[in-house]
Formats: sequence, structure tokens, C-alpha cells
Amino acid sequence: MTQHMVEIRHLHKRFGAVEVLSDVSLTAETSKVLCLIGPSGSGKSTLLRCINFLERYEAGDVRVEGELVGYEERGGQRRLASGAKLRQQRRKIGMVFQQFNLWPHMTAIGNVADPLIRVRGFSKAQARERALAVLEKVGLAAKAASYPANLSGGQQQRVAIARALAMEPHLMLFDEPTSALDPELVGEVLQVMRALASEGMTMVVVTHEMGFAAGAADKIAFLDKGRIVQCGPPDILRKSDEPRLRQFLQTYHERNDF
Amino acid sequence: MTVYVSLLGVLVGVPIGILVLITGTLGTAGRLFTKIYVSYFRGVPLLVQLLVLFNFLPWIKFDISATAAAVTALGLITAAYVSEILRGTLHSIPPGQSEAAAALGYGPRATWQYILLPQVIRLSIPALFNELTLLLKSSSLISVVGIAELTRVSQNIVATTFRPVEIYLVAAGIYIVMSQILLTAGRLLERHWARR
Amino acid sequence: MDLSIVVPYLGLLASGFGYTVFCWLAGALGAMALGLPIALLRMSPVRWLRIPAVLYIEAIRGTPLLLIAFLIYGGGPAFGLLLEPLPAGILALALHASAYFAEIYRVGFNAVPRGHVEAAASLGMSPVATFLRVQLPEALVAVTPSMVNALVVLSKETSILSIISVPDLTYEVQKMGIETFASFESLFALAIGYWALVSVISTLGAAFERRVTFHIHAARSQ
Ligand SMILES: Nc1ncnc2c1ncn2[C@@H]1O[C@H](COP(=O)(O)OP(=O)(O)OP(=O)(O)O)[C@@H](O)[C@H]1O
Ligand SMILES: [Mg+2]
Repeated sequence: MTQHMVEIRHLHKRFGAVEVLSDVSLTAETSKVLCLIGPSGSGKSTLLRCINFLERYEAGDVRVEGELVGYEERGGQRRLASGAKLRQQRRKIGMVFQQFNLWPHMTAIGNVADPLIRVRGFSKAQARERALAVLEKVGLAAKAASYPANLSGGQQQRVAIARALAMEPHLMLFDEPTSALDPELVGEVLQVMRALASEGMTMVVVTHEMGFAAGAADKIAFLDKGRIVQCGPPDILRKSDEPRLRQFLQTYHERNDF
Repeated sequence: MTVYVSLLGVLVGVPIGILVLITGTLGTAGRLFTKIYVSYFRGVPLLVQLLVLFNFLPWIKFDISATAAAVTALGLITAAYVSEILRGTLHSIPPGQSEAAAALGYGPRATWQYILLPQVIRLSIPALFNELTLLLKSSSLISVVGIAELTRVSQNIVATTFRPVEIYLVAAGIYIVMSQILLTAGRLLERHWARR
Repeated sequence: MDLSIVVPYLGLLASGFGYTVFCWLAGALGAMALGLPIALLRMSPVRWLRIPAVLYIEAIRGTPLLLIAFLIYGGGPAFGLLLEPLPAGILALALHASAYFAEIYRVGFNAVPRGHVEAAASLGMSPVATFLRVQLPEALVAVTPSMVNALVVLSKETSILSIISVPDLTYEVQKMGIETFASFESLFALAIGYWALVSVISTLGAAFERRVTFHIHAARSQ
């Protein structure tokens, strides 16, 4: 059996007294797209952020390419991994945020090139060259010198994707990448993501875009109240008779079909 | 004396500050006056203003006590800052509120009296208390014209005891405690109003 | 009014102006350098680092600058710190302003959105790189307006150093006023002079502010 890109087993996560993830087990396969869907507050973002250890979890395993993320195990004892170890693990996990999180004091190309210089040890010239190539790929080479404030939301999000891609991650995490966008700008971002998927990038995508999930996902996991209620191929969106998923989709259609 | 002068400074400063603010809304001349007034008092060091005023009164042969002159000076300066604080708060109230009042048939005076002023005063409380602590510290400067406030008194004690460190540290401690009392009072008042 | 009486004093006035500007710049640089580590201590998650910083800030902010100057100039010798008026004055100014600057820095760091730091973490940036490349530059931009304002205030406060006989503009003009028996006229001219100086600094500050923050405001037209 081939190795899973991401393997999550019996994951538990709480904020204070509230358990936001309970006993979540899930895998993401290499070169496949996994979509996480579910109502607001169901724990999708939290689950995604556990994968690159932006959130600490209390119990269970999160493994990327077979390696436990954020913790080190020695003789059955578990302790926090060193900062350097964690940074090395995060380098191969790209992340795209709902709010873009571009750094406002750097131009588009600066945003993409700076991590290459600081983290990958590129020279300035190498970093600019790579950054420009990746911006070209998301269709924004012409905007390389623009500051984020002068870009539309869709353009900003594409720069953010380029920033993550330039690091040559083995895996990309997307947390509702189109939710902060005006409707007419959603398409350009989804298009970039589809292209990425067709090139064989492994992707885990939290999304409210059911059209994208149905069309691009290889697997869909439906979360509700911190549990995976159903997980399967995209046609569960049409065929499932799981009542909570049906109700979720019902609400979604009512909201989107006027 | 420090407390006395500072408090009087506020009592003089706040009403003048409100007047200066309102003057600023009365036509071009009023606006110009307010602008120059605020800009002068905020643009010139306090010490220099005190010195100017203290030399101005004898110059026009006007004779009032040094304390009264100090209170006047602190009051005029405070007024400039107070009017700026109030103006800032006024701008932070969304224009929709006045519009809503107008739509309900409030006149300009009623809008000011019932809608704007109560909010402005409430919202300005933290900044006003902050201003008060600044005034408290500024009052140390009137020691240069020989008024026996805290700083001057400690200077005098130092002159006879030659123990500058102890005396000045005690004086600093008193200032710090007074500032903290003012800031805490401001915070309590703010919270009291926030709860309603 | 006879302006010719001023002529013999021109040299002293120029030197006084020089002292004023020098005290301002030196005090400001000192306060900027000192304020940053204090702000970092103030934000530290470690309690026994944070508490001294809070006490320092509150103590300095509660004490008049004049008293700080007296403490250093008059009380310094008791600690073997025998300073001339000028260095004592600049030290007092720097200590005084450092507490205000520390609070300004702190507000600036808090203004950096958490997501910007998380983005850096997700790219594998080290805490030091994140601080130098993301948090510090963003914070500096965020604090520029308050910093400019604080610098303007500081330029006025230098006048207080004349009381511990730093020969700045206020000091020289007061002396001139007494010697020429024209105290009010001299002082009024001084007030106007400061007014002009402060206006110039404010205008330059506003221009600087626009330069530094231009990229965070969306362009009006594209
Ligand atoms: N830092 C935090 N501290 C406390 N509670 C939190 C924190 N972050 C998230 N939560 C809680 O955890 C639960 C899951 O949040 P999460 O953001 O993962 O939901 P989500 O499925 O991504 O929702 P949405 O679709 O609104 O983004 C929510 O109830 C939320 O209130
Ligand atoms: Mg979310």
C-alpha cells in the first residue's frame, strides 16, 4: 500500500472546555484533492490548521508523508518538536488563507520572493526570477510591482497562492480561499486552483463552493460539530441519504438559488 | 498647591474648550479664530507660554497674583487641547445619527442637546482624564515662576537638606500616585458608562 | 521698538537654536532605541519581564520631565553620575520619551494582524525572520502617525531643559530678555519662533507619513 500524503488518526482538539474536533480520522492521498465541507463552526478551519500545526492538538496523530507534525515521540513520550524541525515540516506544506494575509509593506513580487530568501536561502536574483515565474503562472506577472492594497481581492489571493507555491510544497492547504471575495472574482481563483489540481498537486480545501467540490474533488469529507459525518467520492453530494448532509446541502441551495 | 492649580486649570479649561469648539462652527471668522487659537497653544512649548504670560501681565500693567496667572495660563492651554479632543470625538459620531435625528424632526439645537453632546462628553472621558494627568505634570513648570507647588517645594527642601535623590524620588512618587488615581478614576467612569 | 538691540545676540540665538535641535534629535533617537526593547519586554509572555516594564512605563509617565531632569542633574552626583547640563538633559528627555515611545510601539505590534504572522509561520519562517521582515516593518508603518506626533511634542519639551541651564533657545532668549529689559517682547518672539518650528516639523512629519504609508492606501485611480 502506498503512503498517504496526510494521515489523521483519532484527532482531538479543544478550546478551553469546548471540544471542537472529536475523534477525527481522515486521509489525503498524493496528487488528489480532498474537500472539507460543513456548516459554520463545525471545525473545518481548525482541522486544516492542525495539519501544519498552527493549532496544537491534545490527542491523536497528524502525519504528513508519514512524519508526525509538531510533536516528537521518544520512547512513547510525546513532546513539542523543536522550532527548526517544525519550520522544516511547514516548508513542504503550503497554506492559503481566507483573508489572503499578504504582507502590505511588500509588493506582490516581494511577498513571493521574501520567504524564498529568508527560508530557502535563495539569492535575491534567484528569488526574483522564481517569484516572477510563479506569478506568471497565476497570471499576475504584470502586477509584480503592485502593492497588495492596489490589487483586487482575487488578485491578492492569487499572489498568496503564488507565495505558497514558490516554496515548492508537497501539499497545499486552502482555508475558504474564495469566501472573502466578491462573487465576480471567485472564478479566477478557482481556475488557478483547478489548474493546480490537474498538475497533480495534493490539495486539502475547505470550501463553501459546492460546484468546485463536486467538480474538482477526488474525495469529500463532511464535518458537523467536530466530527466527520460522512466521507467519500464527490457523488455523495448527490446521492447521500445522510440526513445532516442533506440538510446542509438543502440550506446551501436555498441560499444560492435565490 | 499642585492639585489646586491643576483642578482650577481644568475648571477654567473645559468650558473655554467647549466655547472654542462651538466658535469654530460659527462661520469663517470663528473657524479661523479657533484654528489659530488651537494651533498657537498646541504649537508653543508650555514653558514658553507661561513665561510669555507672566511677562505680559506686568507689561500691560495688569496686576494679578502669580497663582491666578498660572491658573489662567494652564486653563487657556487646556482649553486648546480639550477643544481638539471634543472635535475628534464629534467627528467619530457617524453623520447618520444627525440625519436620523433630522428625519425624526429634531431641530439643530435639539440634535446638539440630546443626541450629540451627551455622546461627545461620554466618549471623550478617557481622553479628557488623560489630558488631566498631562496637566498635572505640566503644573510642575509653574515652579519656575516661584509658585510653591510640589516641584518647587521639593527644590526648596533640597536646597536646605542637600538630599536631592530622596526628596525628588518622593516627589516623583507623589506625582505617580496622583496620575494613577486620575487614570483609574477615568477608567472607572468609562466602564460605568459603558455598562449602561 | 528698536530691533537693533537684538543684533549682538544673534550668535547666541543661533547657538541656542542649535542646542534645541540637537537635544531634540538626540533625545528622540535615544527614546526610539530605548522604547523598542521596553515595548518587547512589556509584551513578553513571561511575567517577571513584563511587570518591570509596566512599572517603568507607568513611573516615567507619571513623573514630570522637569522632575526627571532634576533627579538626573541634581541627584546624579549621589550615584557618581556627574553630568553636565547637556548630557543630563538629553538623558532625561530620552528616558521621559522612551515610556511614551514604548507604548506607541506596543500599539503598533498589536495592530499587525495575526494572520500575517501565521502566513509567515506556514511558510517556515523563523521567529526572528518573522519579526524582522513582517512584524517590525508593519508595526513601524502603523505607528508612523503617532510617532510623528510624539516627535512634535518632544521638540517642544526640549524647552524645559533650559531650567537645568542647558543653553538652548529658551535659555538664551530669557537671558537676552533680562539683559535688554525687554522680556515680554523677547519671549513673545520666542513663542512665535517655536510656533514656526513646530509647524515646520509637523508639515515635514505629515509628508513623511504620506511617503511611508502610501502603499497601504489603495491608489485612487489605476
Ligand atoms: N482560537 C479559538 N478560541 C476559542 N474557540 C475557537 C477558536 N477558534 C475556533 N474556535 C471555535 O471552534 C469551533 C470551530 O471553529 P472553526 O473555525 O474550525 O469552524 P469552521 O468550520 O472553520 O467555521 P467557518 O465556516 O465559520 O469558518 C467554533 O465553535 C469556534 O467558535
Ligand atoms: Mg473557517
